[in-house]
Amino acid sequence: MRTYTLTRGRTKPRHLLGLETVLDAGTGRPGPGQVAECEEILALCREHRRSVTELAGRLRRPVTAVKILVSDLLDADALVVSVTDAYTASDADADERPTTHLLAALSVGLKRKWPDAVGYPKAG
Amino acid sequence: MPSATPRPDDSTVALRSPSRPQAGAPTVLKIVIAGGFGAGKTTAVGAVSEITPLSTEEYLTEAGADVDSLAGIEAKQTTTVAFDFGRLSLPDAPVPLELFLFGTPGQDRFVDLWYDLSRGAVGAVVLVDTRRLESSFTPVSFFEDIGLPFVVAINQFDGAHRYHPEQVRTALELPTSAPVVTCDARDPNHVAGVLLTLVGHAVKSASAGPARPAATTTLQDA
Repeated sequence: MRTYTLTRGRTKPRHLLGLETVLDAGTGRPGPGQVAECEEILALCREHRRSVTELAGRLRRPVTAVKILVSDLLDADALVVSVTDAYTASDADADERPTTHLLAALSVGLKRKWPDAVGYPKAG
Repeated sequence: MPSATPRPDDSTVALRSPSRPQAGAPTVLKIVIAGGFGAGKTTAVGAVSEITPLSTEEYLTEAGADVDSLAGIEAKQTTTVAFDFGRLSLPDAPVPLELFLFGTPGQDRFVDLWYDLSRGAVGAVVLVDTRRLESSFTPVSFFEDIGLPFVVAINQFDGAHRYHPEQVRTALELPTSAPVVTCDARDPNHVAGVLLTLVGHAVKSASAGPARPAATTTLQDA
């Protein structure tokens, strides 16, 4: 199936979705006549929350096409967006960098996962 | 079955942020791994990712090579760009975190994608193959221009000449503040070390005051 058919000719998603926007399965059901890819997206998100990029990679479909299908599923409450952002993605004027508090947590998390990893310059 | 809630007509729905977000999920942080073809981006992502790196496609609209200079109209054409995606969870971090890794090619025409990937990112790793150093210039300039903290990681390929990091710094005309490290992109400890270096550098950059790209200079009071 061509991407154009998949999205029924639409070229822009109706929701603001980032490449890293994470989606969880919701309680709603998609409307009738959805393409098979919508069921695939729902099945993947029921298993584990997934980012837009991961869904596109697993479906082997372009990100924009997947964003269009995800928008349909959000409208049907079949998907919900996880609050995961370290910053406010919808506010273009917001300071977009993660806070130093989060960076410190990331550093600790990485060190706990890989105790043998060494960052430079070494502390001290 | 249609929802009981009446929905506005498609034509009237403005582009909007998704509503009813779900709380309680780990915070997502992202890091961009850029580099030339064959520099080892997919290998580096795969070394620390909990999933096999996914190759994801996106469309890019780029100015065509055949520009009609008389009319001043650029022929636009759509191309497909592939980038890698990997993720790992850090449940033992003080705050539950999930880290997304985006591996992206180093050519000029991917700049639109880099903007998307860089928004809100911790920073970037520019993975360097010293045999193809020139492919690192574009990503280095890009991250410098937008003020995203980055580190340069020299992927030490078997059999390739080992340059000293300072030689690479000089060749790439890097500021002294940007860390240059060596790594084996196949080794999870090495890649995690590069990520730690980047996080440390991002903390320093943040405390030194956010680097602002020239385009977003704040308005000054008269």
